[in-house]
Amino acid sequence: MTPSPDSRPEETDMELITRWKAGDGRAATRLVGRHSQALARFAASAGEREGIEELVQDTFVRAFASIDSFRGESSLRTWLFTIERRLMLDRRRAERRSRETVSVQEADHVSEYGALDSLIAEEAQERVRRSLEALSPTQREVFTLRVQQGLSYKEIAEVVGSTEGAARVHYHNAIRTVKEYLSDE
Amino acid sequence: MNKCTEIEIQEMLPDVLHGSLDGRERARLEAHLLTCESCRGDLDVLRAVKAAAIFAPAINVDSVVRQIPPYRSILPGVEKPARARVVQWLVAAAVVLGVVGGGSLVLSKQIRTSQPPVAVIVPESIKIAKAPEVAGSALAVAPKVIEVSATSRPQALALSTDVENLSDGNLVQLMNDMDQFDALPAAEPEPVISVDSGDSL
Repeated sequence: MTPSPDSRPEETDMELITRWKAGDGRAATRLVGRHSQALARFAASAGEREGIEELVQDTFVRAFASIDSFRGESSLRTWLFTIERRLMLDRRRAERRSRETVSVQEADHVSEYGALDSLIAEEAQERVRRSLEALSPTQREVFTLRVQQGLSYKEIAEVVGSTEGAARVHYHNAIRTVKEYLSDE
Repeated sequence: MNKCTEIEIQEMLPDVLHGSLDGRERARLEAHLLTCESCRGDLDVLRAVKAAAIFAPAINVDSVVRQIPPYRSILPGVEKPARARVVQWLVAAAVVLGVVGGGSLVLSKQIRTSQPPVAVIVPESIKIAKAPEVAGSALAVAPKVIEVSATSRPQALALSTDVENLSDGNLVQLMNDMDQFDALPAAEPEPVISVDSGDSL
């Protein structure tokens, strides 16, 4: 009996990419299913508050559109994080520009944060989230990629466009800041 | 609490949460944790940080996949006629620019070469050095300006009219070198004296 495609043993990302290139749409579904939540978590931990699903979607569309430029030298997830990070930076730049030209809808903004806060049930987790907000953007990226996503320092360096040594330094500074923040509260 | 000095162990701690340590590294780390309160504290913080990341919205995989174009449609030149047209226009523009630029260059060269060269005529008895043999002389200082017409007119040393474009320094250098040039006559030509034949008397 031939196993159905869905019951195959875990295929590597490269195998799925090859299948997708050959016209197998289910391979794309498996790739998206495999990596989408990690991308959503990364976006959330990097401070994105709205449009995370759209951001993840844009990341995949862009990644699949340039899949030939993925050589497999890093993991697919690292590559996807790199694309997502670039999209987040673009989005923030655009938001900054619109804030400069259009009057800010502060009330909406605040209420969205309030809504998000109300979703956070446990006080301890909210404290951790606040401690992460105390980090610099790069520290936060490095720290969450390391702790929440489990990337190696080398992979983190690729995502944030830095060196492995710098990633290690950011990690040490970040954990020290988070620990101090949590012990002060 | 004593501060831990095992940097490598500290950097490894997040790998515990993701189960990405091999057996030897894991054993080493567990042995360290038994004695290091600082690292145990770090690990608790890391667990809390990892747990705090669960509030990302659930992604609808199918809706994401629906937006992904099939592979064939993103191959260059297959379903991107607009881009192909842009490329064609760019190529055409480059060709036109090349033709116009090249034409004007040829025209300017023709205008330059149609002007007669200034020629210094030297006696045929004097040996004229060919261009490769005069390296280091004045000809080497301004090789594009001075042409030794050794092939067509071996007895003439021709200077193009571009000598006007030489800087003062180059001109002085050229004059100095020409003074030392063996092919030039050492003495000034004798003045021509008109001889009165006395026919008018």
